[in-house]
Amino acid sequence: MTDAGAPAPGRRRLASLRPPREEDFSPRLRSPAVAARVGVALGVCFGLAFLTGLVSHYSQLPDPPVPVPTSPSWGYRVTQGLHVATGIAAIPLLLVKLWTVLPRLFQAMPRGVGPLAVATAERVSVALLVASAIFMLVTGLMNSTQWYPWAFSFRSTHYAVAWVAVGAIVLHVAVKLPVIRTALGADLEDTSQDRVPKTSPTRGVDQEGLSRRGLLTATWTAAGLAVLATAGATVPWLRRVSVLGVRSGDGPQGVPINRTASAAEVDPAAVGEDYRLEVVHGEQSVTLSRADLEAMEQRTEALPIACVEGWSAQGTWSGVRVRDLLDLVGAPAGAAVVVDSLQQRGAFSSTRLPGNFADDPRTLLALGLSGEPLSLDHGYPARIIAPNRPGVLQTKWVHRLEVQA
Amino acid sequence: MNAGEGTDVADGPGGPRQVGQVGQVGRVVLGALGVLVLGYGLFLLVSRRSFGDLVDAGLWLAGGVLVHDVLLSGLLIALGAAAARWLPGRWRGPLAGGLVVLGSLTLLAVPFLGGFGRANAPDNPTLLDRDYLAGWLLLVALTALGVLLARYRPRR
Repeated sequence: MTDAGAPAPGRRRLASLRPPREEDFSPRLRSPAVAARVGVALGVCFGLAFLTGLVSHYSQLPDPPVPVPTSPSWGYRVTQGLHVATGIAAIPLLLVKLWTVLPRLFQAMPRGVGPLAVATAERVSVALLVASAIFMLVTGLMNSTQWYPWAFSFRSTHYAVAWVAVGAIVLHVAVKLPVIRTALGADLEDTSQDRVPKTSPTRGVDQEGLSRRGLLTATWTAAGLAVLATAGATVPWLRRVSVLGVRSGDGPQGVPINRTASAAEVDPAAVGEDYRLEVVHGEQSVTLSRADLEAMEQRTEALPIACVEGWSAQGTWSGVRVRDLLDLVGAPAGAAVVVDSLQQRGAFSSTRLPGNFADDPRTLLALGLSGEPLSLDHGYPARIIAPNRPGVLQTKWVHRLEVQA
Repeated sequence: MNAGEGTDVADGPGGPRQVGQVGQVGRVVLGALGVLVLGYGLFLLVSRRSFGDLVDAGLWLAGGVLVHDVLLSGLLIALGAAAARWLPGRWRGPLAGGLVVLGSLTLLAVPFLGGFGRANAPDNPTLLDRDYLAGWLLLVALTALGVLLARYRPRR
């Protein structure tokens, strides 16, 4: 990362202090040959993160126009693991990409109204691209560690800026397409598209610094290490390797917890002896204690709990099939169910279980995890666990199921 | 945008003119799609949001650019100038590569090393439950090893 072309040495330096110009930067590494290659990888990462992000937002719709499939049960887990992994990989890629194109920031603006307008429009679009790309990676990373030092809603703002970023990337690719095609079609050492530097590229510094090949190797290494260092929060066999995993994977009954009972303000009295589950369908309703639920036919399912923040873990859940509970009140097949939690804090105290999830034989009102009664933080006395669902919709501390007409 | 910029380059040497024109139309369509998607994002950003939240989001959007373009880029330019002056030539490449790896991993590690998220969930022992300083030091050691290997690798 050597910047040749530093101003002349000695006392003249101070007198000649001025903002840098585009031609001050050596084009040896800061070349379209490098930028295009890193840019392709970055574009793939942002594209995958965008698509998997859309999957997550769609999966969280209470009543999606086209039902979300219940299989494969690990669909949400894999897509959201990929979402965070591609976002993490994009951090070194974006840093290197921005470094290679930094001289463009100091490009002289053209004269004349027409060219100036075009140059200004391009500057604005690139500014939106850079601002939105940095915003996505910074807020996404911070959200994965539950750090929110801002006032805006993470969910809706991360979503809106994602569209800005992807639109700006598509526009950028359209504008740069000829440069990208030429760069990718030519050798990495090709200099035909390079800017003309102020100083001769044959100067000593340029010959001895990092090579283009070396910079790319370092960039791919950084992206790979970044993924390995974090992915253990969702890939069990990487747990020991992932020194920056947001969760080690440990937790009560072998499963981590996203929100504890006290953080959700669950009244301890409400989950004690007096706990009752109400199942309602129009005029019909039944009221069940935890002992009543334990007396019903018990099923065991291995299903993942997969969080929007990108961690996930497989659990062995036992409890009552939701469909069995719905049959008690004569709910028709395909009916959706509103699930109410005892939690008093948090946006997901009432969720809607679409009909295809309510009818899936794997969807349980779980009473136990790993062969033990649920711990309070995992949702005691009873919680929903369904295949291919976002963790925030796997409602804990359930006290009421109401069949929608 | 500056669609004119590419016309000389897009039609490669000897490429048929029609292919170039089709390519140009494709570029314009792609660019228009980008503008539409970008515009939708800006609409989502400014609608359904209180003025205070919008200002806060704007500060974070602009702040990221400023921190990168001024602080980080300035620091890298200073490091580059210092390396050019004081570092022996054979160390420059390996150390620059090491900086790419360790610099980006260290930025990634900030929320982990700071553990700021724990304040949001003080009673949740399963969040940020590793020794991240030890993890980061391991990454430092790995990078140092890589730099040494690159420095003393036999040259042709």
